[in-house]
Amino acid sequence: MLNDTKKGQIFSIILGIGITTLVVTTFIYYIVGDSSIGLFEIISVPIILIIILSTSYIIFDRYKNIKKGLPAQDERLKNAAYKAGYYGFISAIWSAVGSNMLSIMLFDQDLRGGLVTAAVVLISGAVFILSYFYFSRKGS
Amino acid sequence: MKTRIKEFRARYDLTQEDLARKVGVRRETIVFLEKGKYNPSLKMAYDIAKALNSTIEDLFIFEG
Repeated sequence: MLNDTKKGQIFSIILGIGITTLVVTTFIYYIVGDSSIGLFEIISVPIILIIILSTSYIIFDRYKNIKKGLPAQDERLKNAAYKAGYYGFISAIWSAVGSNMLSIMLFDQDLRGGLVTAAVVLISGAVFILSYFYFSRKGS
Repeated sequence: MKTRIKEFRARYDLTQEDLARKVGVRRETIVFLEKGKYNPSLKMAYDIAKALNSTIEDLFIFEG
């Protein structure tokens, strides 16, 4: 019989797999449906790949621990997630401001609202995942 | 912060995984604690001390 904590951990793993699948499907759909592949699509591919690979690793790591009877996440990893969340938040603010500024400086034109949103999501997502990965491997 | 977790663990013939299971944390957390790379919360320090039949003062060496 599974207790509530274990059920929650298994649910979070299934949710993680579901969200990753949705992101991949949406991205493939977007790339295939868009006839012109621009600079933004080229830049976003490695970022998406980093997010997908890192998320898959985290999900696999949690699954491995649950199988061994250990908790999927503990105090140390929660601290790492808080720290990574802080960096993700700061990068979201700066990417919202910086992406448009860069576009004006480099291409002399404003970015469309959708592209700014996409840049914020991709950059903050990548920063969150990479810093979570770094802090969880570093120890403290 | 230095710890004597490894020494106490050996005394009771516990692996890192056994201790992790007793305390309810991941094995990696025990690894980082033993290496002095992670400062635990008071609750975790208490749980580890309890699992090793010891006290926080005996297990953790605070270096001001």
